[in-house]
Amino acid sequence: MSTTLFRTIQLNQFTLLGTTLFRRRSNVVSVRCCGSQTTTTTHEAKQSSQSRVAPKNHKSNKLDEILKDYEAVIGIETHVQLSTSTKAFCSCSNNYGSYPNTSICPVCMGLPGALPVLNSKVVEFGVRLGLALNCDLSLKSKFDRKQYFYPDLPKGYQISQFDIPIASGGYVDLDIPLEFGGGHRRFGITRVHMEEDAGKSIHSDTGDYSQVDLNRAGVPLLEIVSEPDMRSGVEAAEYACEMQRIARYLGVSNGNMQEGSLRCDVNISIRPIGQAEFGTKVEIKNLNAFSAISRAIDYEISRQALLYNQGKADQIVTETRLWEEGAQKTVTMRKKEGLADYRYFPEPDLPEVILTQEYVDSIRASLPELPEAKRRRYEAMGLSMQDVLFLANDVTVAEYFEAVIGKGAEVKLAANWIMGDIAAYLKNEKLSINDMKLTPQELAELIAAIKDGTISGKIGKEILFELLAKGGTVKGMIKEKDLVQITDPAEIEKMVIKVVSENPKQLEQYRSGKTKLQGYFAGQIMKMSKGKANPGLLNKILLEKLNAKE
Amino acid sequence: MATRALLAVISASPSRCFISSSRIKIQSSVSSLSLNFQQHSRKIHRIARSYSSDTDSSLLQPPDVSRLAETARISLTPAEIEECETKIRRVIDWFGQLQQVDVNSVEPAIRAEMDGGNLREDSPETFENRDSIRASIPSFEEAYLKVPKILNKE
Repeated sequence: MSTTLFRTIQLNQFTLLGTTLFRRRSNVVSVRCCGSQTTTTTHEAKQSSQSRVAPKNHKSNKLDEILKDYEAVIGIETHVQLSTSTKAFCSCSNNYGSYPNTSICPVCMGLPGALPVLNSKVVEFGVRLGLALNCDLSLKSKFDRKQYFYPDLPKGYQISQFDIPIASGGYVDLDIPLEFGGGHRRFGITRVHMEEDAGKSIHSDTGDYSQVDLNRAGVPLLEIVSEPDMRSGVEAAEYACEMQRIARYLGVSNGNMQEGSLRCDVNISIRPIGQAEFGTKVEIKNLNAFSAISRAIDYEISRQALLYNQGKADQIVTETRLWEEGAQKTVTMRKKEGLADYRYFPEPDLPEVILTQEYVDSIRASLPELPEAKRRRYEAMGLSMQDVLFLANDVTVAEYFEAVIGKGAEVKLAANWIMGDIAAYLKNEKLSINDMKLTPQELAELIAAIKDGTISGKIGKEILFELLAKGGTVKGMIKEKDLVQITDPAEIEKMVIKVVSENPKQLEQYRSGKTKLQGYFAGQIMKMSKGKANPGLLNKILLEKLNAKE
Repeated sequence: MATRALLAVISASPSRCFISSSRIKIQSSVSSLSLNFQQHSRKIHRIARSYSSDTDSSLLQPPDVSRLAETARISLTPAEIEECETKIRRVIDWFGQLQQVDVNSVEPAIRAEMDGGNLREDSPETFENRDSIRASIPSFEEAYLKVPKILNKE
């Protein structure tokens, strides 16, 4: 059952992605791929049957037609805002949501004479992320100034890394969910570099001015640049998901897209299949959800293919386009006349960043198990890919799951409970798995109690919801409520005989062929036992009695 | 190593130069344009090196002052452009000379070296005099800096 639920979630997500292009409305609940707040997602089972077939139908559409003739080439730049206590080059606190312009000092305000000093945590996080992305680290790297003018950039330049980034030449492995075709992918990572964020501009709809908050100016970022290895919106969205997952596993960022802690810019071009050179590249910004990444790319593929097909390929120009969530399309933000001239030069106020091999090794040794390793391990436990992707998606869910099986619970049963009723409960109550009153120990007890027949599965569910709501122990609840399963055949037989004899009309109908009525009898007996009768035994004895020829 | 090369050039150049332990000031005949190179806690190495004193400025493009002015967001009159052009050209010629230095056998230094820890602990400190920073912002309203509406970068 839980598996079915989970499949539904995944499929609905696909449906959601599909709606724009295919103009097909399906009234399903949308679920984000990597919910940024809630740890787990699920929804009503009712819709499972309708959406199970959805992917196939949707696949045979316009986009698929396009992709017979054209290939999309996609690269992504991801900005990860680091969860350090202070900014990158000064001791101002790095605190999202502070009162505007309070976390400022001469350094991040770019006042004359102020000198930046690098935060050691930024280097540590850079090394952690670089290693997690299988990169080579530069034992010596440096900072450069990237010059541009914008009101949210007080110094007139951004301190970044240009020609010698802290990490380069890596890759990331991920699994595409089955609903999107499945499969394992490896995407190249060109580089990871350290830099500082700019302030935040707030553009009022009315009025001829903008407001700037410089609390974010100087907040540390790691920019991850991918190789142009992705070929579809789904691959790009899954790549971005994996970046969020890795950042969260490593604890370098909260990865929250709504708060702008994880920002993705997509570069995309298409080319006729067989053509070696790349087409004209378009950059898409303003993608603040994984679904937006996928849909914006699919939209852009369609738009560019249409221009190709109409012989207007020259109208595809190098430009930056914005994704408009409301209109579900991309629009021109600015056309680029050539490469932007940032006039990079080495930052004279900062020394080079030197890493020792011992330092790198110590960080490597302290890395947690990463999502890919976890998925492979869960897969080896015998879990299905759906289960694997669900459980390994969120590190807190994975930790909970591992704690439950650590207490001896059977792997598949633990997965089913977590992905089914528990996930549904958390979603309804808008809780994270860490806030839940049901401890891994008690879930393991519950699973064991059902498995050894102490309580029925039905009672188990009731106990589950009580424990979720109020906490407590399984043993205590079984005792307190006298819930121990009735497994004594004689006792069950008594109840069977009583119910059968009290319903002569139904018995007659049953014996004249309405065998569906077995369910009615079973329900009555279960009710009489207050749900405690062992269902297997009950049905076995009931059948004997019903079919007994008198 | 570029600094070393620069010093070599300076020491051999006909112009006057002043070298102090923390600051190098080059004063060339271009009186209004001086270049300041700042160094932090770094020993100065003076090395003798032979180099060709012929300035082959054909290696470097002449300055496009109009474009430079645009990237620096300053407005110049045609007369100013003309005036700047000669001055900047002389500076570029300096770099032309620098480029002549043979550094093939020298391992590049990407940045100035610093001994010991040059990193900061990640512990927050509030800058006490924030009020005066905010007070010096020309247009500050309702907790925000008020700036002209600009929607396009670059």
